[in-house]
Amino acid sequence: MSKINEVFEAVEKGKVKLVPGIVQAAIDAGDDPQEILNEGMIKAMDSVGAKFSTGEIFVPEMLIAARAMKGGVDVLKPHLAAGAAGAAGKVIIGTVAGDLHDIGKNLVAMMIESAGFEVIDLGVDVPKEKFIEAVEANPDTKIVACSALLTTTMPSLKETVAAINEASFRSNVKVMVGGAPITQEFADEIGADAYTVDAASAAKKAKELAA
Amino acid sequence: MIIIGEKINGSIPVVAKAIEARDAEFIKNRAKLQTAANATFIDCCASVEQNEVETLKWMIDCIQEVTDTPISVDSPSVDAILETYQCCKKPGIINSVSMEGDKIDRIFPAIADSDWQVIALLCDDSGIPKSAADRLKVFDDIMAKAKQYGIAPSRIHIDPLVEMLCTSEDGIAMNVEVISSIRKQYPDIHITAAVSNISFNLPVRKLINLGFTVLAMNAGLDSAILDPTNKDMIGLIYATEALLGNDFYCMEYIGAYRDGLFSVQPK
Repeated sequence: MSKINEVFEAVEKGKVKLVPGIVQAAIDAGDDPQEILNEGMIKAMDSVGAKFSTGEIFVPEMLIAARAMKGGVDVLKPHLAAGAAGAAGKVIIGTVAGDLHDIGKNLVAMMIESAGFEVIDLGVDVPKEKFIEAVEANPDTKIVACSALLTTTMPSLKETVAAINEASFRSNVKVMVGGAPITQEFADEIGADAYTVDAASAAKKAKELAA
Repeated sequence: MIIIGEKINGSIPVVAKAIEARDAEFIKNRAKLQTAANATFIDCCASVEQNEVETLKWMIDCIQEVTDTPISVDSPSVDAILETYQCCKKPGIINSVSMEGDKIDRIFPAIADSDWQVIALLCDDSGIPKSAADRLKVFDDIMAKAKQYGIAPSRIHIDPLVEMLCTSEDGIAMNVEVISSIRKQYPDIHITAAVSNISFNLPVRKLINLGFTVLAMNAGLDSAILDPTNKDMIGLIYATEALLGNDFYCMEYIGAYRDGLFSVQPK
């Protein structure tokens, strides 16, 4: 089995302790660092995401796989070209104003990062102005992802997306929304570009949008 | 959680019949079932009035023919234990000693230089103490003996002795006090219980058994003598471990579900 396949398997199975050593072994064996990242780790997380979406695996297993990947990326980073670890693009993410929920948002951030993006996490209770400022400060942002976990903060999500839709940079970014009460219908109504039902499909969708 | 499978015990009528008839297949089948259910140890108790040593040896052989799971050699007789435990291919558990008579002074030195573990009951020549303080006194005596003979706490399973709930006036408060106190003093010791004792003489015993297990685990129980093929109980134990923070990312819970150990099977 090639070292890259070993990386793939170890990440997919969430072998947090083993991944850094296997990645180092792959580097030592002369495997291309970019390929270790893309074919070993990102691909493994694609598979993890797909298995999560079909109910084959559970949230903790996805979390552990992402942690395992993170350990591998730390080993890989010095060997990658600058910025290569987030080569898929920059994503700004946050939970909208008035909403303090962060578990779901963190899961999405983690899966998007595992898909090869650089993630800027603005945290929870993020005012719409802060989303705007963050994109202005990062003109290469490809996606803005906003989360609302409560029916009572859906209006806040609507206002946030409306503010982004009016911003001068709007044509340069895609807007993703999600959260327990959100539906595709609501996303369409407020003018978001995409809605996804869970963290795994969010990562998949982000890749499509940034392609 | 350490599970000591209770299904091969001559005090169970069908098992007594199989022992009487020397029905090896019956014993082997119960050993296999408990192994498949992930029992940590398989208890082996003859519960016969005559020929206990010969009976135990036959039972141990039956079990070892079909499984590598270590055996809990279960007898009230020190002689029977000492004459049979060495038939086991790998170290298991001696079930049991207590501060009664010279039990502990004969068993502890015999297993001191081995990897055998031992269940120690909190009773002495005066019987089963009524109060938590008195049971803890027996515990202190046992630990003094353990120290004397060089038995590490991690090799000892303390059984605080569970008595039937239906005649108790304070539920399991006394047991909880004993378990908590022991757990606090010795983080590495094992604390076990014959779970089904709690529910004697009550209807729908399994409900009492399940509730007891959760509460006792919360107090510090980490070992139990029970039926490992009872999938509701096993599922509850995994769930409780996770709830107590003993299961990193619920991976054991998910794994057990996937291995089919719960009453609800994976899709």
